[in-house]
Amino acid sequence: MAGREARAGRFPGPSLIPALHAIQRQQGWLPHDALVELSRETRRPLYEIQGLVSFYPHFRTSGPPPAIEVGVCRDLACWLRDDFVEPEAVASHYEGDADASVRPVSCLGRCDVAPAAVVNGEPVTVARLGEAVEAARAGALAPAAAQRPDRTWPTDPYAGADETAHRYTVLRSALAGAPDPDAAIEELKASNLRGMGGAGFPTGLKWGLVRAEAGAPKYVICNADESEPGTFKDRQILAELPHLVLEGMLIGMIAVGAEQGWVFIRHEYGPEEAIIRAEIAQLEEAGLLGNDALGGGRSLSLDVFVSPGGYILGEETALIECMEGHRGEPRNKPPFPGTHGLWGKPTLMNSVETFAAVPAILSRGSSWWCEQGAGDADGLKFFAVSGHVAEPGVYCVPLGTPLGELIELAGGVADGCRLGAVQPGGASSNFLGAANLDVALDFDGVAAAGSMLGSGAVVVMNEDTDLLAAATNVLGFFRQESCGKCVPCRVGSKKAETILIDLLAGGGGTADVDQRIAELEEALRLTSICGLGQVALGPVMSVARFDQAQSRDI
Amino acid sequence: MTHARGYDLVAMTTAQSELRTVTLTIDGTAVTTHENTTIWEAARDAGIEIPVLCHDERYDPVGVCRVCAVDVGQRTLAAACIRTVEEGMKVTTATEQVEAQRKMLVRLLMADQPTPADDPKETTTGDNELLSLAREYDAIEHGLPIGDARPLDSSNPVIETHHDACILCDRCVRACDDIQGNDVIGRTGKGYETRIAFDLDLPMGESSCVSCGECVAACPTGALVNKPITAPLRPRKDLKQVDTVCPYCGVGCALTYHVDEQINAIVFAEGRDQPASQGRLCVKGRYGWDYAMSPQRLTRPLIRREEHYPKGPLSADVRGEGRGRRKAGGVVDYDEVMPAFREASWDEALDLVGERLRAIRDEHGADALAGFGSAKCSNEEAFLFQKLVRAGFGTNNVDHCTRLCHASSVAAMLEGIGSAAVTTTYGDIVNADVAILAGSNTTANHPVASSFFTQARRRGTKIIVVDPRQERIADHADIFCQVKPGTDVAFFNGVLHAIIELGLVDAEYVATRTSGFDELESVVAAYPPERAAQISDIDADTIRTIARLWGEAHAGVIYWGMGMSQHTTGTDNCRCLIALCAITGNIGKPGTGLHPLRGQNNVQGASDSGLIPMMYPDYQPVDDPAASARFEQAWGRPLSPVPGLTVTEIIGAALTGSVKGMYALGENPFLSDPNINKVRKGLANLEFLVVQDIFLTETAEFADVVLPASSYMEKLGTFTNTDRRVQLGQPVLEPPGDARLDFELIQEISNRVGLPMAYESPVEVFEELVSLGESMTGLTYDNLGGTGKLYPNPDPESSDGTVVLFDDGFPTDDGRARIVAAEWLPAKELPDDEFPFVLNTGRLLEHWHTGSMTRRSYALDAIAPEAHVFISPEDAARLGVENDDFVCLRSRRGSIEVRARLSHRETPGNVFMPFHFREAAANVLTIDEIDPHGKIPEFKFCAVSVEPVDSAER
Repeated sequence: MAGREARAGRFPGPSLIPALHAIQRQQGWLPHDALVELSRETRRPLYEIQGLVSFYPHFRTSGPPPAIEVGVCRDLACWLRDDFVEPEAVASHYEGDADASVRPVSCLGRCDVAPAAVVNGEPVTVARLGEAVEAARAGALAPAAAQRPDRTWPTDPYAGADETAHRYTVLRSALAGAPDPDAAIEELKASNLRGMGGAGFPTGLKWGLVRAEAGAPKYVICNADESEPGTFKDRQILAELPHLVLEGMLIGMIAVGAEQGWVFIRHEYGPEEAIIRAEIAQLEEAGLLGNDALGGGRSLSLDVFVSPGGYILGEETALIECMEGHRGEPRNKPPFPGTHGLWGKPTLMNSVETFAAVPAILSRGSSWWCEQGAGDADGLKFFAVSGHVAEPGVYCVPLGTPLGELIELAGGVADGCRLGAVQPGGASSNFLGAANLDVALDFDGVAAAGSMLGSGAVVVMNEDTDLLAAATNVLGFFRQESCGKCVPCRVGSKKAETILIDLLAGGGGTADVDQRIAELEEALRLTSICGLGQVALGPVMSVARFDQAQSRDI
Repeated sequence: MTHARGYDLVAMTTAQSELRTVTLTIDGTAVTTHENTTIWEAARDAGIEIPVLCHDERYDPVGVCRVCAVDVGQRTLAAACIRTVEEGMKVTTATEQVEAQRKMLVRLLMADQPTPADDPKETTTGDNELLSLAREYDAIEHGLPIGDARPLDSSNPVIETHHDACILCDRCVRACDDIQGNDVIGRTGKGYETRIAFDLDLPMGESSCVSCGECVAACPTGALVNKPITAPLRPRKDLKQVDTVCPYCGVGCALTYHVDEQINAIVFAEGRDQPASQGRLCVKGRYGWDYAMSPQRLTRPLIRREEHYPKGPLSADVRGEGRGRRKAGGVVDYDEVMPAFREASWDEALDLVGERLRAIRDEHGADALAGFGSAKCSNEEAFLFQKLVRAGFGTNNVDHCTRLCHASSVAAMLEGIGSAAVTTTYGDIVNADVAILAGSNTTANHPVASSFFTQARRRGTKIIVVDPRQERIADHADIFCQVKPGTDVAFFNGVLHAIIELGLVDAEYVATRTSGFDELESVVAAYPPERAAQISDIDADTIRTIARLWGEAHAGVIYWGMGMSQHTTGTDNCRCLIALCAITGNIGKPGTGLHPLRGQNNVQGASDSGLIPMMYPDYQPVDDPAASARFEQAWGRPLSPVPGLTVTEIIGAALTGSVKGMYALGENPFLSDPNINKVRKGLANLEFLVVQDIFLTETAEFADVVLPASSYMEKLGTFTNTDRRVQLGQPVLEPPGDARLDFELIQEISNRVGLPMAYESPVEVFEELVSLGESMTGLTYDNLGGTGKLYPNPDPESSDGTVVLFDDGFPTDDGRARIVAAEWLPAKELPDDEFPFVLNTGRLLEHWHTGSMTRRSYALDAIAPEAHVFISPEDAARLGVENDDFVCLRSRRGSIEVRARLSHRETPGNVFMPFHFREAAANVLTIDEIDPHGKIPEFKFCAVSVEPVDSAER
């Protein structure tokens, strides 16, 4: 098959990941003998199993889990907080505690309550870590619940209605034939809705391309694997607007001609996963799913796929590799998932926020949607604001809202400090100095300022922040989460981090960032297979270029 | 989604369409090519070289090293090795920016490499591709932080894994999995910590790695390198290259030996491209060649000393006192056996041989003599040997080890389709929708052929494996049928029944191309799948599934091994396979046919050359007056019209005294024939035995005269592989000491028994062989070339030869395939209370036949130094036996002690043992019952008991 990679689809037969999950559920970990037996019973190579269990952090091969397993986030939104504690410090606190084991973890998507941690799979704050550990020791650690404050969102056409019967009217109508798939896609095109996961690909165009594909079956996947430091807006959409996410997906399935959809959700979002599962159950009960949804002759089925862990799975082809049972290594593109997706079939993949926008656009019309934007921008946008702001959280504002306005909405820079810099679009985005408060938060505006809208994660840093150290922290995240498939990202992120850590340890600053970093940044940006490597050094270089003196004058 | 994914609108919107040609520009030059072409291929074809590290044309691309990055006018550079061309694409391959990125990529890789002075490849074969790129890009001095040391894994006897030199190009991964189908190497870990790993990240030497060395051949750096075997590894340019063929199995892989002429030693071997083997090798081919340089090579003629008469075994192992214990310091202790012989001059030894053989012939008649040739010898040697026996001795008592491997297949095929050679090649599986692999431990016995089988499966061929043992090939099966031993006829009759029942018979083919269908139908009517299931343990649904798969396939092919042939019902087993193909029209078109996978490198050729008691060369029956007349005229002697005795019959005749003199050339019946306690008596009972071999074999312990012969490595000759491919074997080394070419020795003896021979070169012999038959017509040493030729070959000057035979008719009397129905018969010796286990015997990947070569190969001996009996964990637990415990195996014919190996691949009630090991000779146990047609012994089935040996002796 043209452009099909040698390793893609290498192993005939179903994914072994569910079987590995099953062993770990039963035994608490994956003993060597159990893996050998799995290999023998499934007649699949041992190295395939090794590749999986060593790649996905969820899998444990080093022995039964400790009674209390603590993960402490070390990424930017947590690192910025005054009460941040290095995972190593937490570990030494519990040293000698036979029950507890502490390890550093990547961003948990709880940046609004940073610094964040996790105890036995339940999200907690570092502030209440001790409490949670003792609760776990007593066997009384309560399952965390999703945050569902009593509020409404402007993208929810069903605000106030809390029963399935009063929701999903667009879906019901679509099942009855109106709008028909082409009309729905045209409406999306007219809305100028773009992918909210980071890349901003026009949604209507993508739906149209997948619809036009001849291959069958087709699949729809909701990418609910946001894992980038500072990014947690999808978490709140999942928690508070699950009906919009699923309705958007189902309309997408009807539009492209798919019968099976999956919500691919990160395993750290246990509370939100429960909500999605409950919502799916309600849809089933209401007859909106099944072999003959609403009697319209159409088969629709939704399922949840829980990520075995790793930021890289947010990359769409890595996500597909994972769902197929492989190491989550991004594929060379083209071909794209729209033509060669899950199991080589045409696959429509959008993020949580993108799908969740669809019901409002189709029910209220594309012109309504367009009108919601500020300035030249169209529509609404969810932002996760974290870092040095007084009220970290998720905000839904008109696309094109000025950066400064959003920061004010989040209570302004905390503790009366002045702004130092902002990462406006998640860890991938270049830092913007305080001179950029007027920048319109839309695709073009942020790009014009030298950064990107990215994942809608706005991380605010006050003037006292060591920005090179912050950018190095971001690089550390990417280095940690690199899948290792391609040379520039695997080796380059490590070498750059080593250079920068040495530099910082020696008291160096942005002026000391040498040519090698610039060369590495260019090599990673131009030659890495996927976005992770391409952007890994962008933030560092943006800081190196920063003229901080100028930014302070604003 | 959370980070920028790098959509390129242009690329995303390029619609998939029908294959077409596209035009693009590469460095300003317009290039028109096929749309599935990669940029790298298009550039190469246009004469533009783009550097690569992870890419190799032998493998599908992965695009991980990124060194082939080129500018296609997009936001990022494209990996030329994997990006396909697009209409109107503008590619620039070497802009300053592109070159700068390549340099950085090489610097990054160099940062974690050993220094050139310490590089495992730079300091040996000197062909490190990364270093040569680093020199080109001035990146040896990389200027980047040096990485942490990564480990060295030297646990494999022949391969070192230097993780610090690994660049994770995944070439080894693809070589191991996609090419060889061994599925051992993968990536472990993530990110910068990623390493290649074997199995569950075991040291290579403890993993399921079979040491085929394909990964070493694939590795562009010093990460996977060979260990020296005979002499330090050196660059190719400092060594002599000899292109020849592997000496081991019937697959006949082409290879090149790199030879140090100063010390007369092979330094290393590499696969060589050839249409069938395509450069692949297995562990035996790549690492098992040093036997030829063994210090135990015979270098002087030997005559048995007077005091060692009457004759008998000389060593404890051959006396049967080995007790499974490997000798310290070597497999065979020459101090134990050599004192029984004295060195002699060639004249004395040859004169003695001539005199004694002549005397026996003159006193007891020609049929008191017999000759054992060898399938390890060339066509020319086989031809001369049978000519000597037939025209010089005057008897047809000439045979060789084909009797022990595929004699029943040959019998069934001659009867059914009028030809004993394969009807298609192993590589033709690629054209098959479905392939049945029956009774074939392919990964061990035909490893390179198995790699084509597993590869075909990945491309869509459905594989059905039928075998009582769940060997590695079964891991690659779509359907694996673990049949009860000895029930093949019932199983296949069930499949035949179901094909007929399901209406999947190719009626036209049956009507026009076959005979005997009606009888088949009436016989298999008694084998409904439900009954076949009761006998064979394969459930009826599976039998019907197979019938449907086979019956509906456009093209189906059957490959089989000795699991079919080595039974007293071997011929019947093969008859069933022939019927399967015949009733579904699966002979005579691509991807169809019958292929008994031949064992020895020249078992096909030795049989073709007449080294069988009932046939002259090219399968002309000795009892056919026209054939006799042809050969009598050619050789100027009256020839015996009486078919001779087979291998197994000759041993029996030696025991009764009717055969008194024997010439054994490269054959070692003591270990290879069934019921060794009987063979021992038979060999000891011979009045005169001359053994011509390269080592003092177990059989040679019974010899009156031992002639030091040439190894494969020392001679010129042709060898015919399982595909009917005739290939030239070239001299690689000089024979040691006074050892002489077999080609000369046969003639010396012939001259001394009254049949003058004066061939100056094997070329003359080959011409005579070709001229006396039809199959190889047209083939000459010249047109065989470097990669050999298939026969028949109507145009050998320009054609590789005929892959698929019998597209039109069969070489039978009526031109039709004769379907012969078979009734299921149980094996001769069924398990009972006293001997409750079924013993199956066979080979290991690492060893060859009686081990005389492989156990003297450093690599093969190091990997598999000892004999084991493979037993299911359930049985072992019941017997209280643990891995490596000694157990005693006993049959009605004898007993041996051997270590146990617990193996999930055996089913309870069955044990398996390789027969290579003199100290634990499996053939002590085997039964010497034979198939009535093929005269092949039932090596695959006899009843034994298994008992733990006192643990104090472990």
